[in-house]
Amino acid sequence: MSDAPRMPHPPADLVSYEIRLQGRLDDRWGTWFDGFQLSAGSDGTTTLTGPVTDQAALHGLLRRIGDLGVTLISINATLPSNGDFDE
Amino acid sequence: MPVLATKLFIPQLRPHAVPRPRLIEKLNEGLRSGRKLTLVAAPAGFGKTTLLSEWIADAQHRDPALMVAWLSLDESDNEPSRFLAYLLSAVNHADPTLGVEAPSDQPTGMTATLTTLINEFSQASQHILLVLDDFQFIEDPSLLGAVVFLLDHLPAKLHLVIISRSDPLLPVARLRAGGELTELRAADLRFTPDEAATFLNQMMHLGLSSAEITALETRTEGWIAGLQLAALSLRERTDVSGFIQGFTGSNRFVIDYLVEEVLQRQPAHIRDFLLHTAILDRLSGPLCDAVTELTGSSEILASLERDNLFVVPLDDRRQWYRYHHLFADMLRARLAGDGPALPARLHTLASVWLEQNGLAEDAVTHALAAADFERAARLIELAVPMVRQSRQDATLLRWLTLLPRDVITRHPVLGVYYAWSSLVSGDLQAAQSRLVDAEHALAATTADGAPAHDSVLSEELRTLPVTIAVYRAALAQARGDVGAMREHASQALDLTQPGDHLGRGAAAGFLGLASWAAGDLDDGVRAFGEVQTSLRLAGNLADALGTTIPSADMLISQGRLRQARRAYEQAVRLAGEQGDPPPLSTGDLHVGLSELLRELGDLPAASEHLATSEALGDRSNSRENRYRWYVAMARIRQAEGHPDVAIDLLGEAERHYLRGFFPEVRPIPAMKARVWIAQGRLNEALAWADEHGLSAGAESAAVDLSYLREFDHLTLARLLIAQLKTPEALRLLDRLLDAAETGRRSTTEILILQALAHGAHGDTALALAPLARALAQAEPEGYVRLFVDEGAAMAALLREAATRGIAPNYVRRLLRDIRPTDGRPGGIQTLTEPLSERELHVLRLLASELSGPDIARELYISLNTLRTHTKHIFTKLEVNSRPAAVRRADSLGLL
Repeated sequence: MSDAPRMPHPPADLVSYEIRLQGRLDDRWGTWFDGFQLSAGSDGTTTLTGPVTDQAALHGLLRRIGDLGVTLISINATLPSNGDFDE
Repeated sequence: MPVLATKLFIPQLRPHAVPRPRLIEKLNEGLRSGRKLTLVAAPAGFGKTTLLSEWIADAQHRDPALMVAWLSLDESDNEPSRFLAYLLSAVNHADPTLGVEAPSDQPTGMTATLTTLINEFSQASQHILLVLDDFQFIEDPSLLGAVVFLLDHLPAKLHLVIISRSDPLLPVARLRAGGELTELRAADLRFTPDEAATFLNQMMHLGLSSAEITALETRTEGWIAGLQLAALSLRERTDVSGFIQGFTGSNRFVIDYLVEEVLQRQPAHIRDFLLHTAILDRLSGPLCDAVTELTGSSEILASLERDNLFVVPLDDRRQWYRYHHLFADMLRARLAGDGPALPARLHTLASVWLEQNGLAEDAVTHALAAADFERAARLIELAVPMVRQSRQDATLLRWLTLLPRDVITRHPVLGVYYAWSSLVSGDLQAAQSRLVDAEHALAATTADGAPAHDSVLSEELRTLPVTIAVYRAALAQARGDVGAMREHASQALDLTQPGDHLGRGAAAGFLGLASWAAGDLDDGVRAFGEVQTSLRLAGNLADALGTTIPSADMLISQGRLRQARRAYEQAVRLAGEQGDPPPLSTGDLHVGLSELLRELGDLPAASEHLATSEALGDRSNSRENRYRWYVAMARIRQAEGHPDVAIDLLGEAERHYLRGFFPEVRPIPAMKARVWIAQGRLNEALAWADEHGLSAGAESAAVDLSYLREFDHLTLARLLIAQLKTPEALRLLDRLLDAAETGRRSTTEILILQALAHGAHGDTALALAPLARALAQAEPEGYVRLFVDEGAAMAALLREAATRGIAPNYVRRLLRDIRPTDGRPGGIQTLTEPLSERELHVLRLLASELSGPDIARELYISLNTLRTHTKHIFTKLEVNSRPAAVRRADSLGLL
């Protein structure tokens, strides 16, 4: 069991995601993207950062991004403060 | 269900569309080569729908007979019954001669309806394009399964086109590998530099240089929506190169930049109009007037269409429009950015207008979007009868999950409906607690004695206490608690008001089921008689006729075949008088009548009724009774001497069996075991007995011999007889006889088995007493197969009875149907070690007058070889003399 890839199951309120998109999006999209913070990168990308309640919410968010035709570059779950994902 | 014609509208060819011959050719090639599916998958703004409307115009020009069925899907279509209704509407809209009907009052299986559709299409003379637009909304597994089913059985003339913003959850890779897929993706759809030039200069007359075109094409990466927005910004602008420099030099997201540009160039009132009406999925002049609280919206919509400002007409008469998805998302995002108050207000205004104009579903959606839950709850309560009638249970459930729990608790009508949804989905605990909540809400009063809940006064509310009690009975049934089911059903019956026929019918139904399960068949028959009367008074003839089936089942258990037959014949006649389409239960009635006629020995008529039922199709056979057709067919095939076919059909019956509707008084596994026993496949039958906790010892007094297990136990008795465990079989049968007599049920089958048990033991004299009783009570009712199915062993006993003057005419009739081979293979196999073909041959000669040497000559074998055969036969039959072997073989039906 030890080496099998495991889905992280952190407590819902601790999960935060970073989603990088091609192009610079206006700040007003924050509300549209479920209250995510938008920050512009120097490389012409935009990073959305914010909490995600569960996987369904994450997929809903990704669909909204897809509906806009924005190019998705990367997506990362950011570790909660204690750094432990499995407990 | 009201069908929105706008969803079936084939988008018209746009006046300024860029011709795209390379893509049209690719689509035509797919159609020509007979590939099953065309998939157009790309994000919003790649001109998918526009391309398809251009292709349709082109294809219809080439083949004027080509039919096109178009269905624009949206989020609420993720529900099987709704999707199916729209799919059929789209098809019928394209070709009214097809006339495929949606199942109206029963959730028939998707596959069943699709099969009808596929059959209709296979007869079509012209090609049909079925286009499903915005397929990305479809995620329901059963819906996706239905589309796969359609693809797997696609008639040659039908071609499916799926337009989607993301790849559909279908086996696309398999179709691709099999060369059955035509695909257009973003890379195909984006404008080439040439197409961009055609668009910007020839369609939009912008007169751009090739360098400017390249700059725009590069910045937008050929994304058509981007180019279109750029063109809108450039129109009437003098500083073309300034705009292009600003745009290409910015790294802002393309549409952020461009929508900003476009909106800035609109007058303030148009900008507000766009922002405020963006909350609507469909726009009409009057609806927009209501939302903007202004007038003149129709003119604004018409001018937006003229200016190419991302509104799409949804009908020929320019009454309904929608914004392009991408544009609507942009506008909504801007609106949301200014805080939640304004959008909520706009949603409420929309909801009010939609309610006033009879668009109840959309009114609910907007009330929920406005977070105006009180309003939403009231609208949902009003919509409950309509939504339930059209069986959009998923829609209702989705709404309810969006309501806060306290709002539902204050609306007991919604709470009770929620309980029902939980019950149907198998969450008994949730159903129970929701019923308790609803009951408390109903009972609570304010200080001045008025009801404390918020449900609107309606028929639903008035009959709610009855509904709650009925659902409690249903819950008890789901838990298998017959006592509680009876209790709640009686309570429901007590609570019904005069005239509440549906309530009475439902309550009496559960009472009847409780009596049936408990084996109180007189009460059960009486209760279902009342159900039938109530349902007919309520005007529900289809379900009233359906009650014939449980009634007849109980009458048959009581041995009242003639009465059951009369009931079926009357019901079939009545159903036949209703014209087309026949009432829902008609097919089930034919199956019931078929089973009766089989028992009465009329196999041709029994087969005919099954054929009639089949011809009536799934719409006349209820889902919970479908397994009966397979059972009936299995027993006919068995009677015709094809036990293996019967086993297969019973397997099919198991797959169609739905638990929880009727008490399981005739379990299919036991029916299979009976066939195996008759075939002599005792190992299979023993495994069945093991699996169901039935083994020798079941005859002991401790074992539950209730009516619900009677069929199992009678099957076990047959197994014991086949194993020659006569004393055990007789002890079990004695107790079953007592139980049946006490329960006032038919004892004929038990008496027959007693006779067979004695017969197998060689006690013909003892066998005749129960046989005579069985014959006496069976003759007036006309039983045939109950005797005949027992084959040669029964034939021997019947012949013996006839010689003693017991029911000679009836016995002659029965013997006529016992074919000489019946029971023979079974007889062989009841031995621990079966006889070989050769040994059987020898055995039959041993029964003759021939001497040993004569038999050896007859068989062209030596006397020694004959002795070896004979020794084997004696061992297998457990005898040690020629006369004993012959007697034993005779009793086993081997001769």
